Amino acid sequence: MTGAAEPELSTQERKAQEAELRAVWRTPSGWRYWTSVNNTEIGLWYGAAAFLFMLFAGVLALLVRVQLAVPDNDFLSADTFNQAFTLHGTVMMFLFAVPIFEAVAIFLLPSMLGARELPFPRLSAFGFWSFALGGVFVCGSIFFGAAPNAGWFMYPPLATDKEYSGIGADIWLLGLSFIEVASIAAAVELIVGIMKCRAPGMRINMMPLFAWYLLIVAGMILFAFPPLIAGDILFEMERMFDWPFFDTARGGDPLLWQHLFWIFGHPEVYIIFLPAIALMAMIVPTFSQRPIVGYSWIVLAAVGTGFLSFGLWVHHMFTTGLPQISLAFFSAASEAVAIPTGVQIFVFIATMLAGRVIFSVPMLFGAGGLAIFIIGGLTGVMVALVPFDWQAHDTYFIVAHLHYVLIGGMLFPVVAGIYYYYPLLDARKLSDRLGKIAFWLMFSGFNIAFFPMHLSGLRGMPRRVFTYPADIGWDWFNLVSTIGAFIFAAGVAIVVIDVVRPKHRQPKVEENPWNAGTLEWISEPEEKWGVRSIPIIRSRYPIWDQPGLIEDIKAGRFYLPDVKDGARETLVTSVLDAEPIQCLRVGGTSILTILAAFSLGGVFIALTFHWWIVTIVCALVTLAAIIAWLWTGTAVIPRQEMRDVGLGKSLPLYTSGPQSVGWWAMFITMAGDGTAYASLMFGYFFYWTIHDDFTGGHAGPGMLWPLLAAGLFTLAWLAMLLARRFNDGDRPAATRLSLLAALLLTLAAGGAGLAGPYLTGMDPTAHVYPAIVWVVALWTVVHGGVGIVMQLYCLARSLTGRMDARHDMDLVNVVLYWHFLVITAVTSFGVLGLFPGLR
Amino acid sequence: MPARPCGPYRPSGTTARSTAIHRRALPLLLIPLSGCSGIQSALDPAGDEAAAIYTLFLVMVAGGALIWLAVVGLLLHAARRREAPWSEKTAGRLIAWGGVAFPVAVLLALLAYAVWLMPAIRPWLAHSAPAARPIEVTGEQFWWRIRYPAAEGMPAFETANELRLPVGARAVFALKAQDVIHSFWIPALGGKMDMIPGRTNTLSLLPTRAGVFRAPCAEFCGASHTLMAFSVVVMEPEDYAAWRRAQAGGNPATGSEGERLFAGHGCAGCHGIRGLTETASLGPDLTFFGQRQTVGAGTLANTAENVARFIRNPDKVKPGAKMPAFDMLPDGDIAAMADYLVGLK
Amino acid sequence: MRLIPKEIESLWTLFTAPTIWALHFLACYITAAVTCAKAGAVPFSFDTMRLALGLITLAALAGIVLSAVLAWRQWGFGSGDPPHDEPTRKDRLLFQGFATLLLSGLSFVAVLFVAMPLVFIGACQP
Repeated sequence: MTGAAEPELSTQERKAQEAELRAVWRTPSGWRYWTSVNNTEIGLWYGAAAFLFMLFAGVLALLVRVQLAVPDNDFLSADTFNQAFTLHGTVMMFLFAVPIFEAVAIFLLPSMLGARELPFPRLSAFGFWSFALGGVFVCGSIFFGAAPNAGWFMYPPLATDKEYSGIGADIWLLGLSFIEVASIAAAVELIVGIMKCRAPGMRINMMPLFAWYLLIVAGMILFAFPPLIAGDILFEMERMFDWPFFDTARGGDPLLWQHLFWIFGHPEVYIIFLPAIALMAMIVPTFSQRPIVGYSWIVLAAVGTGFLSFGLWVHHMFTTGLPQISLAFFSAASEAVAIPTGVQIFVFIATMLAGRVIFSVPMLFGAGGLAIFIIGGLTGVMVALVPFDWQAHDTYFIVAHLHYVLIGGMLFPVVAGIYYYYPLLDARKLSDRLGKIAFWLMFSGFNIAFFPMHLSGLRGMPRRVFTYPADIGWDWFNLVSTIGAFIFAAGVAIVVIDVVRPKHRQPKVEENPWNAGTLEWISEPEEKWGVRSIPIIRSRYPIWDQPGLIEDIKAGRFYLPDVKDGARETLVTSVLDAEPIQCLRVGGTSILTILAAFSLGGVFIALTFHWWIVTIVCALVTLAAIIAWLWTGTAVIPRQEMRDVGLGKSLPLYTSGPQSVGWWAMFITMAGDGTAYASLMFGYFFYWTIHDDFTGGHAGPGMLWPLLAAGLFTLAWLAMLLARRFNDGDRPAATRLSLLAALLLTLAAGGAGLAGPYLTGMDPTAHVYPAIVWVVALWTVVHGGVGIVMQLYCLARSLTGRMDARHDMDLVNVVLYWHFLVITAVTSFGVLGLFPGLR
Repeated sequence: MPARPCGPYRPSGTTARSTAIHRRALPLLLIPLSGCSGIQSALDPAGDEAAAIYTLFLVMVAGGALIWLAVVGLLLHAARRREAPWSEKTAGRLIAWGGVAFPVAVLLALLAYAVWLMPAIRPWLAHSAPAARPIEVTGEQFWWRIRYPAAEGMPAFETANELRLPVGARAVFALKAQDVIHSFWIPALGGKMDMIPGRTNTLSLLPTRAGVFRAPCAEFCGASHTLMAFSVVVMEPEDYAAWRRAQAGGNPATGSEGERLFAGHGCAGCHGIRGLTETASLGPDLTFFGQRQTVGAGTLANTAENVARFIRNPDKVKPGAKMPAFDMLPDGDIAAMADYLVGLK
Repeated sequence: MRLIPKEIESLWTLFTAPTIWALHFLACYITAAVTCAKAGAVPFSFDTMRLALGLITLAALAGIVLSAVLAWRQWGFGSGDPPHDEPTRKDRLLFQGFATLLLSGLSFVAVLFVAMPLVFIGACQP
């Protein structure tokens, strides 16, 4: 049943439609293949790259294990060892664990949500290329002996010591900042995709649990990564220009870095863990052959974990000498987060108990992963208790704990996901036999490798030691661990072999081979259009509950079965009830995204080596590429206002404001940007708390200039509001004049903002107070600069007839940016001007 | 009490005796967790904090093992095909009781236990009776500077890489760092505390059993983080008092060959030997060096050969060490100096 | 117009209780950190701070209970049992109500956990 009132198309008409769709969604061939932005390609490349980085980091881990197999070993030098474990942690965290879920999400989400594409396919491509380039840069450094060697946590003052860390620390900071940009881009993409691009009828209580998890995780990325970016900025300013943020001799404090790093670092663990559990939430119902029991409980767990995970960061700092009362608050939150985690495990068990379980390789990896993860969770409860952590902190007990959590909670479910979803990639299953062998090798190898570490840790073996004396009681534990590590690696190798071995001779499996209930199983590996037509959803498990759904979708009996204007199109629906509100035209194949990613990569790489001119050139190319991308690909005025999407429904092709995806993307990006800003302000007040006089006797920026800057930014914002109002009233001349006025006011505001610290002669290298004042002022003024670019962009759009009263998306989004900017500016300059006098 | 059989070596000058610390009967499962687990083990407590944490650990291990067995047992049971699957309602109840009610109760109790324990094992000395003046320990790449305060008419003095404490008295430490972050950790006595440049952290420990223990640096601090440890000698109070008294005098000049070379080659420019030289303090103090367990801050056993090896090329023994190599000196000179240093008892 | 609408047409109500938890947590952490860092300069004692944070805890718990009551009402006072998977607006509202109620419960417990140190720890000792 379709509810379609229209007459059925003839076979020939249908074939013609399909040919057109295929042409529009075609992946280019030859070298242009790499310019594809289609979610299936990007997802696949992303996943493959992340997996390669994982294997690389795994080899590093094996080198580390060989070195530690016997006491007083000299297989690796101390310095190589330090580079190896630093890179192992860094790569696993930043280049595997987070990106692999972005890959899976980009690959699966559109079809799972019944969409053709995510709303910003070019942004996905930009994210992937940034990630790939940054990853190769960071990993490659070890072959030149220049890899970071101060630990993946990069604590200053060791990591700010140029003599010790060389350019390794810069490679870490800049390479990873670049990758963090990619992660935030993916987060924006996923949040907007999940909120606005679900198939009609897929209300929030109908969403696949994977989407719920990913929504929460993307939100977490938005609030977790920016503090690290803020920290990276402070860190790089210290390394490059000697601004003493972490130098105690000049009022800085190394603990600020630890706070910023772990505000990122702890949510990161859940950012890694939740998507893997999300895979389990898809696999368990399929193999129990029934809907999940406790859908709402899973939502509770995901949202609860998302929040609580931000109250845990100090549990990495239990030994830094903070007051016990502070430690105890974080210990309490760390215990509380175990509750939602436990709920998820019981939801899976309950679902299995209420169904009839078909045991298969994905379930084997899933269940084995849970058994491992539960141990990691229990030791997590232990180390979250402050007294026990005083002993266990920075020992091999923690190494064991974190690997039990991450390998049980993330790697095993990901391998389960590979076995489960492989048919979507190739229309063939992976080998059951190899899967079972791989599982037992990985499961036993893992436990042999990591269980003894609990004991060696409590027997006093600290982390990050490149060797150890023979008579201290760790020899056997370490030898066993090394043997286990190689057994584990053999299991991983079998998985790799299973995935890459040629399979042309193997017969193709029927569609939906596991008899799953969710929409991603309707997609066909050969077709790039995602779904043939966008269905109406009436169930959480539509394939199980909506008879004839697959045939109707494939016959094009639902929305958007055809092509108009040669554009790639998908539906935008409302947040809660998924009612169709717009037909969205998404960007197609483009070289601009690669250009933007590579030139931005050029900026970061050139900065590492202090090649200032290259940096500036690359920055200009990046800016040009991004503007060209926006100019040609967004807010395009369509030829007709409305589009007949089928089933008797007509939808607008152009929307602006909260209806549109662009507005959401701006809002979400600015939420992340605001978090980075809040982290910098945290730094400002942090220095105030640790010093009796945080100015260190240095003159401040005074009151006049900062307050003037705040006032001018406010006026500029008012002029932007005015511009929007004139544009609404269809008065283009007045709009342009207001924009121009806003632009001049912004220039003046920026000047006033910098005049404060400049005219009072604040020297950022002298003491941390002038340095933090400069950073806050610069942050705000640079945002003002971006505001100016946006104003110019709107002016140009208006002058070239690309923006008018009806088509005002550019202006509305820019004004949204300005709402955030004015809050930033008033806070910054208010605090800089007034706080030194108030305290 | 009989001498404990554990520990690979026992220093001269301490009475091998173990004070009564309560040892609970352990289930068989836990045997590998305790007993002779080495001189750097948190599982063989010799201090009040370590013992309290060890008990907490045993409670958690026992509870954790039971929970793991129960949950994994349930998981395996759920994976078996059964004739009659549970109803959705019953399964929902399992989530509510097993996934919520039980964990909330257990975690609440555990958290209360641990939060109560914190001020109990690390009391705030500023609020209690006039506390002992702290022993100042400074972490430097890659060794430990230790300054004892003046006490009972005996002057303050500096030493390095070996800490001596009396059994049964709460010792207070002021912990600092010279260059990068280090972490002060004596596993047998208690938990760790970071040493952070620009800050002074306070830690107090109460040793309950005499013995020799090893204490590693627990925060990654650079190339030779691995080779940065110190020895802790917990002594009977009377032995400690005798040792403390002896420190004031130092090692007066004996006129030996090694001593002359030590001064002649400029060693005294960095290393102080009380009684012999003006106290230089760039590098580790070497007074009574012969009493120490190790050379190079826990790197090698304290023998004349090892001392010679260290003098010849410290960087080879300990990558990144700040002391320059003296391999241009004749072997005889180096050997004489090594003999002299090892003889400083 | 009612002060609190009967049916809340927003995704965001789901986050009320956890947000209260977050604010309570921040209030505890920041107050304690500043009190201890500026021990000489703040005009109140540690015990006054404990008391104040105790009151804030009560306020947070009250806020969470309010969120729970509203959610309970939206869930039809427990009348509409899960799974809430019908393709109707009503089931979507019931789902929101039930999920919000669960989150209120978790937040309530989490606030209690976080408040526990106030009972046991009576000074700024490290």
